[in-house]
Amino acid sequence: MPEKLTLFERLSNRLFAIPAVAQLWAKRSVAHTRQAVDLTGDIPFATVRKPLAHSRVALITTAGVHLRQQPPFDMENPDGDATYREILATVDLAQLTITHKYYDHTDADADLNVVFPLAHFRDLVQQGVIGSLAPRHFGFMGHIDNAQIPLLNAHTAPEVAAKLRTDKVDFAFLTPA
Amino acid sequence: MGLIARAVEAVGIPTVSISITRDLTEAVGVPRAVFVKWPLGHPLGEPNKPLQQRTLIFAALQLLLAASTPGVIAEPGYRWRRENYTEPDWASLKQRG
Repeated sequence: MPEKLTLFERLSNRLFAIPAVAQLWAKRSVAHTRQAVDLTGDIPFATVRKPLAHSRVALITTAGVHLRQQPPFDMENPDGDATYREILATVDLAQLTITHKYYDHTDADADLNVVFPLAHFRDLVQQGVIGSLAPRHFGFMGHIDNAQIPLLNAHTAPEVAAKLRTDKVDFAFLTPA
Repeated sequence: MGLIARAVEAVGIPTVSISITRDLTEAVGVPRAVFVKWPLGHPLGEPNKPLQQRTLIFAALQLLLAASTPGVIAEPGYRWRRENYTEPDWASLKQRG
């Protein structure tokens, strides 16, 4: 895959694949997020207004998914990369790749549905379970830390939210890595 | 990812998220999440196991329709590599919402 991992990064990814270790990492991530963002208010909550069969869905993943011809996520900045990539609903799935050195994506490379289930959602639309796919979907990279947290929170995340409004999206389905 | 879900929800669009780190999801205040205790990098399960993947999507869509309080985390309790999955009853979702 595009990024080259050091032996240490490989071992670290093995370690973090263990759920209990991942929870420890999550605790640290919580502390950093709280420092950067005020989470004390109410959790935002919108109401589902339509049956699924009439709803338009957008997929958002933080697994580092993007088109091969798009610039990869920044692997040099230890705080991650809060930018995102637009993925058209009509994309040839073979053109998608993953840039994200902070988790082992061997399985996601083998089957993108593990992190970005666009193929399943195409099926669900065809079956009439869900009304339609949004024209574009969004790939982020997780592992956002320090200065990249406010960038995500104040800029790129609201920007994507506004694009979902423009696209008349009824609900979003989010997958981490 | 929780911050993205919150930003989307803040403009009036409901979200449902898969979570593999319950503490983080809880602390950030993700509007609706289905938590599975699976390895990082596998929010929908194993590669080439479409029934497993679709079962998680189904659980998420059920939660999307059912949740009435912000910050709810559903925990279906699927064990890693020790479950037999069958095709979800998609028709049951059509009658709701």
